[in-house]
Amino acid sequence: MTGSPLLEVKNLEVRYEPKRARSMTAVQDVSFDIAPGEFVGLIGESGSGKTTLATALLRLLEKPGRISAGSITFDGTDITHLDQDELRDLRWRDLSTVFQSSMNSLNPVIRIEPQFRDAIEAHSDLRGEAVSERVRELFDMVFIDHRFITSFPHELSGGMKQRVNLALALALDPKLVLLDEPTTGLDVVVQHSILENVRKLQEEKGFAVLFISHDIGTVLDLSDRILVMYAGRIVESQPAGELLREPMHPYTKGLLGSYGDPRAETVRITYIPGRPPDLSLEHQGCAFAARCPEKIERCLTDYPELLPRSAGDVACHVAQQSGGTRHFDGPEFVKSADDSERAREREVVLTVDNVTKVFEKRRGLKVERTEAVTDASFVLHKGGVTALVGQSGSGKSTLARMITGIDSPTEGRIVFHGPDGDQQVSSFRGRALRDYRSHVQMVFQDPYSALNPTKRIGQILERPLVNFHGLKGEERRRRVEELLETVALTPSDRFVNRYAYELSGGQRQRVVIARALAVLPEVIVADEPISSLDVSIRAEILELLNDLVQTHDVGILYITHDLLSARMLADDVIVLNEGRVVEQGPALQVIRDPQDDYTRTLLDAVPNPF
Amino acid sequence: MSTTPNDFMAEGEPDQSRSVEGLAVEQVGSATTPDRWWQVIWSSKKARVGLVILGIYVLMAVFAPLIAPHDPLDGSFTPLQQPSGEHWLGTNTNGRDIASQLIFGSRVSLLVGLFGGALATAIALVVGLVSGYTEGTIVDDVLSFVTNVALVIPALPLIITLVAYSDTRGVWLIVGIIAITSWAGAARGKRAQIITLRNRDFVTSAKFSGESGARIIFSEIMPNMNSLVVAGFVGAATGAVGAEAGLAVLGLGDTRSVSWGTMLYQADAQGAIQQGLLTWIFAPGLALALLITAMSFINFGVDLLSNPHLRED
Repeated sequence: MTGSPLLEVKNLEVRYEPKRARSMTAVQDVSFDIAPGEFVGLIGESGSGKTTLATALLRLLEKPGRISAGSITFDGTDITHLDQDELRDLRWRDLSTVFQSSMNSLNPVIRIEPQFRDAIEAHSDLRGEAVSERVRELFDMVFIDHRFITSFPHELSGGMKQRVNLALALALDPKLVLLDEPTTGLDVVVQHSILENVRKLQEEKGFAVLFISHDIGTVLDLSDRILVMYAGRIVESQPAGELLREPMHPYTKGLLGSYGDPRAETVRITYIPGRPPDLSLEHQGCAFAARCPEKIERCLTDYPELLPRSAGDVACHVAQQSGGTRHFDGPEFVKSADDSERAREREVVLTVDNVTKVFEKRRGLKVERTEAVTDASFVLHKGGVTALVGQSGSGKSTLARMITGIDSPTEGRIVFHGPDGDQQVSSFRGRALRDYRSHVQMVFQDPYSALNPTKRIGQILERPLVNFHGLKGEERRRRVEELLETVALTPSDRFVNRYAYELSGGQRQRVVIARALAVLPEVIVADEPISSLDVSIRAEILELLNDLVQTHDVGILYITHDLLSARMLADDVIVLNEGRVVEQGPALQVIRDPQDDYTRTLLDAVPNPF
Repeated sequence: MSTTPNDFMAEGEPDQSRSVEGLAVEQVGSATTPDRWWQVIWSSKKARVGLVILGIYVLMAVFAPLIAPHDPLDGSFTPLQQPSGEHWLGTNTNGRDIASQLIFGSRVSLLVGLFGGALATAIALVVGLVSGYTEGTIVDDVLSFVTNVALVIPALPLIITLVAYSDTRGVWLIVGIIAITSWAGAARGKRAQIITLRNRDFVTSAKFSGESGARIIFSEIMPNMNSLVVAGFVGAATGAVGAEAGLAVLGLGDTRSVSWGTMLYQADAQGAIQQGLLTWIFAPGLALALLITAMSFINFGVDLLSNPHLRED
């Protein structure tokens, strides 16, 4: 690194000291530099302190959080204790940001242009037409049509809003842009194109970037250097290429292990068991030791300092001694090609036959017709998984709603081959809908909102048993425990009386799956069940679903935008684009030899660090 | 198989994989338990003051026969006595002990506050939650219409008319009338709130668990808006206390029982000020003001429930 660094963080510590809860150290002893024009990625799973670090760097920490030690030097100025008025000069002109929740960071009642104008006029001498000129220039940079300059934010799609935010962050040619999960919540394809855009702009303009993400796959391609954060500390820092070739910290290996090449004959992805430590409690030794497959005696007692090794720094006793292997020795989920063959010979449990769904919306005298699904046909096998792949707006959810009996198809039919003979699925009401739900259940995308926060796990699981099977007392309790054990929440009595907030994301999703299993359904519709989970534990849920298919003989319709997970779980893949099935066939065949351009676009968007 | 879905772990080194699995399943409950609602309310200084004052009032009402020196309706004392050891606050023109009347009067105010507030909150909950949950259907249209009508009817003239024409002016009539004239605003609030909650995934999943509509509304969704229900109740109870006193001051109270409102009515009618009996008019007025202030203070604590950010100040 030549010259003085643009951003210099030294021994930074951030503590949250709420009045009525235990205080915790969210960021501890963090030191790193960013050189002018450098692209640095910061990786860590949720709760690792990366967003706290970002807010501290921007000096946006709010009570009860505060910087309790260390210093932040930006461009030669110590900004650790600068007051808010002095910071105003610096903000946006030299240091700007795109927030995690930037979907809502544009003011909904002000048109786009004035929002740019505010920022530009506050910090530069540009006025009047010169500002408009600059805004047009910025819109060109992020490839948005000029006609949107005078739009209100709600007239823009999610991806466009994010581009506008990016343009706004670049409005004053800042020296450092902090991107905090800027593409989380966006579609894969959109995400991919925005990241390409960021990289290109960064090369052209030469600003430095700190890119925060939980998804190492997206950051590896972009970054010069990667910092890996765990439990509030930086555990590894390496140039991106070296990190990929030779990850040193077992945690980094674990994160990398969550990716695989979907095209391979046999795909192996690993996951990191357990959950990050509770930072409000005292810890001894390495914070990762509890989840680490390579740990040695010393890890439990001494905290490993971040020390230089080969091309970077690592905080790990084992890595400092030997380096170990590139592979994460944790639990692994393996999918090979021949598993799927067996499933395809099983009987069909649900048939979707030339289904079309049209939504009609009356606008004045005209009726607007939107075809959400056009002429879709496929079958679900007993004990098999069919993946429905497509980006948002492709009609996946509409199909799911029809299959679960909430909506009925406009044309064509859906037939459920249940134990009581064939049954045509159309929008059921009352009793019929309830009965149908004892055969078809659903697993939701977000386990944080799918479990009622005011109920205990046991109460949640016993409701379907009461409603559909009329179980009581001892028998019901036994069945609840059995369900918890099925989804590997053992010993079950530890979980029965927990509230959802006491469980990690992965554990919650397993409770959601257990609830779906409670009625012994024939079909489970799983709507993106892993997309809101940390990358490091996704394989765990995939593996559980895979086991359930085999042991419980259910047919799963797996809805996703991610072809890697589709490959891991599904026997058949159906690719949907704008309501049409563009490609359909055995998973491996579709992924290895995609016939449709759209499938190829989706494949390109899969973060693949290899 | 179903009991050991993790048997793939056996591939690795046995000791290690067991310890890894052990960790995977044992790490629960380290998250701190969020404060229970009463702890949150108690944490506010103002709410503590309010609760202590309210507690004193409740004790006074419950143990009124023990605390009060005389029967409040006993008119056998010398009228117009100034405060003394025998008559703490003196006697009024009818020869009744003012202190005893004040102590017994707390019973009516608290009863009306409790039951009037509870009834108004209950009506608001049922109407608001059902109409919000069924938003866009005929049920919602009817309930919203009723709510809107109840909102625009001028409450005070209606109360006065209803009370004036009823034969028996008991406490329960007052409670009922206050409740049916004051639920509408709260019902709108509840309706708006349930509309934001009813599309959560946990509601959909309750439907998939075969739950009935009523159970989803009152057992799944309502517990998630407890703080609003509590705040609504405290507000409604405060309103009910004030409304009861107001009616009594206008001479529309229950003439057979003693309440602060009837005391004020009589004091005013008999010219307490001219007769120099200041305690007769100030004591019930202050008692009312203090009770309503205490309840407003409690609401500061209830605010902390619905807005956790306030808890840090």
